Amino acid sequence: MLKLGLRSVLAHRLRFVLCTVAVMLGIGFVSGAMIFTDTLSTALKKNFAGSTADITVTPVSALSDDTGTSSARPATLSSDLAHQIAAVPGVAGTDPQLLTTGPQILGSDGKPSDTYGLPTYGAGWPHDPRTAPFKLIDGKAPWGEGQLGLDQSTAQREGYELGDKVKVVTPAQAVTGTLTAITTPVLAGAAAGAPLVTFDPATGQRLLLGGPGWTSIGVAIQPGQDSAAVTKAIEAVAGKDATVRTAAQVSADGKNALDDTFGGFSTVLLMFAGLALFVGAFLIVNTFAMLVAQRSRELAMLRAIGASRGQVTGTVLAEGLVIGAIGSTLGLLLGGGVAAGLQFFYQRLDLAIPTAVLQISPETIITCYLLGIGITLAAAYPAARRAGKLPPVAAMRDDAMLPERSILVRVIIGAFMLLMAATVYAIAVNLKGLPAAVLLGLGAAITLLGVVMTSPLISRYAVRGLMSPFGRKAPVTLGRRNAERNPRRTSATASALMISLALVSGLVVIASSAKASVDKGITDAIGTSDLVVTRDGGNPFSGQVRDRIAEVPGITSVHRVRQMAGKVGDTSVRVAGVDEGTLDGPITAQVEAGTVSGLQPGQAIVPRNLARTLDLSVGKAFQLITTTGTHRLTVAGVIAPNRQLNAIALSLPGYTAIGGAASDSTLYVEVADGTSIATVLPTVVAKLQDYPAVQVRDQQAYAKGERGPINAILGVVGMLLALAILIAVLGIVNTLALGVVERTREIGLLRAIGMDRPQLRRMLQVESIAIALLGALLGLVIGVLFGASIQQVMADDGLAVLDIPVLQLVIAVLVAAAVGVLAAVWPSRRAARLDVLRAIATE
Amino acid sequence: MVAVRTVGVGKRYGGGETRIDALDDVSVDFGRGRFTAIMGPSGSGKSTLLHCLAGLDRPSAGQVWLGDVELTRLDEKALTHLRRDRIGFVFQAFNLVPTLSALENITLPLDLANRKPDREWLDKVITTIGLGDRLNHKPAELSGGQQQRVACARALVSRPDVVFADEPTGNLDSRSSADVLGFLHRSVREFGQTVVMVTHDPTAAAYADRVLFLADGRLESELPDPTAESVLDMMKQLDAHEAG
Repeated sequence: MLKLGLRSVLAHRLRFVLCTVAVMLGIGFVSGAMIFTDTLSTALKKNFAGSTADITVTPVSALSDDTGTSSARPATLSSDLAHQIAAVPGVAGTDPQLLTTGPQILGSDGKPSDTYGLPTYGAGWPHDPRTAPFKLIDGKAPWGEGQLGLDQSTAQREGYELGDKVKVVTPAQAVTGTLTAITTPVLAGAAAGAPLVTFDPATGQRLLLGGPGWTSIGVAIQPGQDSAAVTKAIEAVAGKDATVRTAAQVSADGKNALDDTFGGFSTVLLMFAGLALFVGAFLIVNTFAMLVAQRSRELAMLRAIGASRGQVTGTVLAEGLVIGAIGSTLGLLLGGGVAAGLQFFYQRLDLAIPTAVLQISPETIITCYLLGIGITLAAAYPAARRAGKLPPVAAMRDDAMLPERSILVRVIIGAFMLLMAATVYAIAVNLKGLPAAVLLGLGAAITLLGVVMTSPLISRYAVRGLMSPFGRKAPVTLGRRNAERNPRRTSATASALMISLALVSGLVVIASSAKASVDKGITDAIGTSDLVVTRDGGNPFSGQVRDRIAEVPGITSVHRVRQMAGKVGDTSVRVAGVDEGTLDGPITAQVEAGTVSGLQPGQAIVPRNLARTLDLSVGKAFQLITTTGTHRLTVAGVIAPNRQLNAIALSLPGYTAIGGAASDSTLYVEVADGTSIATVLPTVVAKLQDYPAVQVRDQQAYAKGERGPINAILGVVGMLLALAILIAVLGIVNTLALGVVERTREIGLLRAIGMDRPQLRRMLQVESIAIALLGALLGLVIGVLFGASIQQVMADDGLAVLDIPVLQLVIAVLVAAAVGVLAAVWPSRRAARLDVLRAIATE
Repeated sequence: MVAVRTVGVGKRYGGGETRIDALDDVSVDFGRGRFTAIMGPSGSGKSTLLHCLAGLDRPSAGQVWLGDVELTRLDEKALTHLRRDRIGFVFQAFNLVPTLSALENITLPLDLANRKPDREWLDKVITTIGLGDRLNHKPAELSGGQQQRVACARALVSRPDVVFADEPTGNLDSRSSADVLGFLHRSVREFGQTVVMVTHDPTAAAYADRVLFLADGRLESELPDPTAESVLDMMKQLDAHEAG
């Protein structure tokens, strides 16, 4: 049977080409993601195999996910502890280390060095180079405030050489130092590839920590000592304020951290893979259905000469096996290319990402083949089963027809699913927040399946309506009837486009609602503030910025907001410290309960959405965990969800009391009445020359900046759309091309009685456009409904405004129509080239 | 009056050793308002001749004239439009577009030409094929004979200069054959239509005014006012000639 299948695939090469391409694209993304991830982790393992301290002691932070955008003081270990650990039996020596995020390196042009989104690290020069996460490759160790070191990548990118003056802004202050050391990372830890500035230890403590202390202590053990035993002994000395980990644990943790950083790309690739495979499956289902229909006489002949049902089914499945195997092989090759491209792209960014030879593991190969062949077989199975049911006498009949199951059962199941989806939607809309959104996702998936099931019925009625604007000329009527004649085929082809467009239009509605919500949130939340001061990436900045702005004539007030990460129970929250009076004007807070002014230390304001999640109300006490420990707070007031203050807010003294550092996250500036913002702005900017990373923007510019990340998401959506359209085009081309083969005689007849080539082309175009429009419109309706419902349930969580970008969606439909025209090009060329005589003679 | 005329038409496939002359120097006239049958054994070139006459195939030598138009000089597009406007076709099988109703199939050549049907003429043609209330049925719902009569009606609807029929009764039982042939016969008698039909059935040929006999791509003989018997006699004669 496999031999027959192989022969058949070879004989109908052309008809299987698009099937194979679909499998190839899907598997290409899967293997690309797997190869890239494997390569990255191999590279990381290779680097981790290098030197590290035998045992590492780090301070316990209540917050495992403490990020660089927090203005909390990093938790530290004292020098005393280092001495105590050094005295532990079995310890050969200790090396207190200082490594933290927060500083910013300026280029020679005074602008902040571009870090491609990575945090910049600051470090104290190591006492023991053997255990340091970086090593000196040129120059000498920096000494005092006037000297510093830079990592090689940053120095090269900014054109700094030894002896140059380099300006660095730390959370504490801005300093200028002479470059004396060029370093390179030796470990792939969190700091690998990221910009790194180094100082001598004492200077580092002052500039980076604002006081004495170490962020970790590296421990070397004496040769022959059992590291587990020594670890236990150190744990006894360090107590509960420190974590003691062996080298193996450290590298595992570090690798996980990096995997998290770059895992995003794998996720995106896998998302593309899922879409490609899912949409591709429809294409395969269609191809096999058509091929079996075309060859029904041949297959019935096999039955007539003694092949069993199972053998006929097997022949068709064998074809699926061959296609799946070829497609998976090509997909693996494509995936290798994708991974190589990603690696090249990273290297071009000069991110010093550790690299290795592309890793194509047996797991990748096995997964890809299993997935590729499995999906192809599954998609070919319905057609194969029907082929097996062909009665042998069909071989004798002229009009051998496949037994077609009634679509009634299918439509009833589909209708039931739609009903279920409607119920899920109804339930979800009445819930709120993330759980409801997840439920809606489920509802949307059921809707899609339901529409796929009912679409043969839908297409029967929808095609006529959709195509009515195209008139009633003969080619149009013929094309439309062709789209209507096999509702299963038309709807399966359209379904591929529908699913893609549902996904994309849903995301577009959510993203543009998010944009509109940002705008409205900012307009609503920023009341009387004329200027908003922030730093890149939401990083905190020196308190001096506020003082300098306050000196500018025409400025009436500057209110500050500080932020850090915290936890209530298991829920991660933001914690904010606000100047007295901030919520009375500069930020418009709608008080829903309690009060927001005159806060005492220990009192907090909570936004309604957070209060609901954490089950808090005015007067209720709760435990907030920060880097300095657990603190008891009482709710003084509840405010409406506020874009500028989506955090548990405390007064500034209260904030400092629970471990908040004295660096600001945002400043809200009010300009005196009668003074124009435009005249004040240059003065303010001039005052902040030493803080180039700090941005001063009016409300409009600030809102624009805040919309930036959403645009990035829209970019990914655009790429998804492009891929989806590509595969949908393949699907339509496939259906049309197979249709042309199937209707060779009909086309021959039409040509004989006088249909010219433009009319033939028009006929196929109309069929193609009908399929494309059907898919696009169904997808659009489902997607918009989904997006709008998501907005409904997330109204309190950042999606306050519903914005349906009508223009973009109309363009999407027009693009779908254009796709229809495009997809018909190749099939109609083939059809036009058919020799009329041969066509009418074809059996 | 001559409707279609060929001058020294030849059709050659391949070259060298494998050269086949499907048609060899065929010159023949088809009179207007006449019903001509072309007969011959398999491979005699009768279908090839019909295809060359109808502008479906191009001869390798000679000329084909439809009235005062030389088909052999026309390009692909002009030929297509000529087929649409001035020629009618009836094939052996698969004559109708399955997605169109019987009536839509009949008017298809006019629709393709963007022409309005001549109502009176259309009614006349439809009445003649006697399909009654089945006009709005799809081909799959019609019998083989009904399908062929619809095909005939389509061939006539644009009042073509000539109707070409390629074994129109090849797939039909004798009763349906008689219906179809009777219809073609009436179209010649009553409407003055010109019909050229390829067949291998002497009974079918007997409906014609004149029978041409082809063998090995050459015009062997012709028979005016044939009957089934005279056609059969001629065929035997030619067979004997061939054998001898």
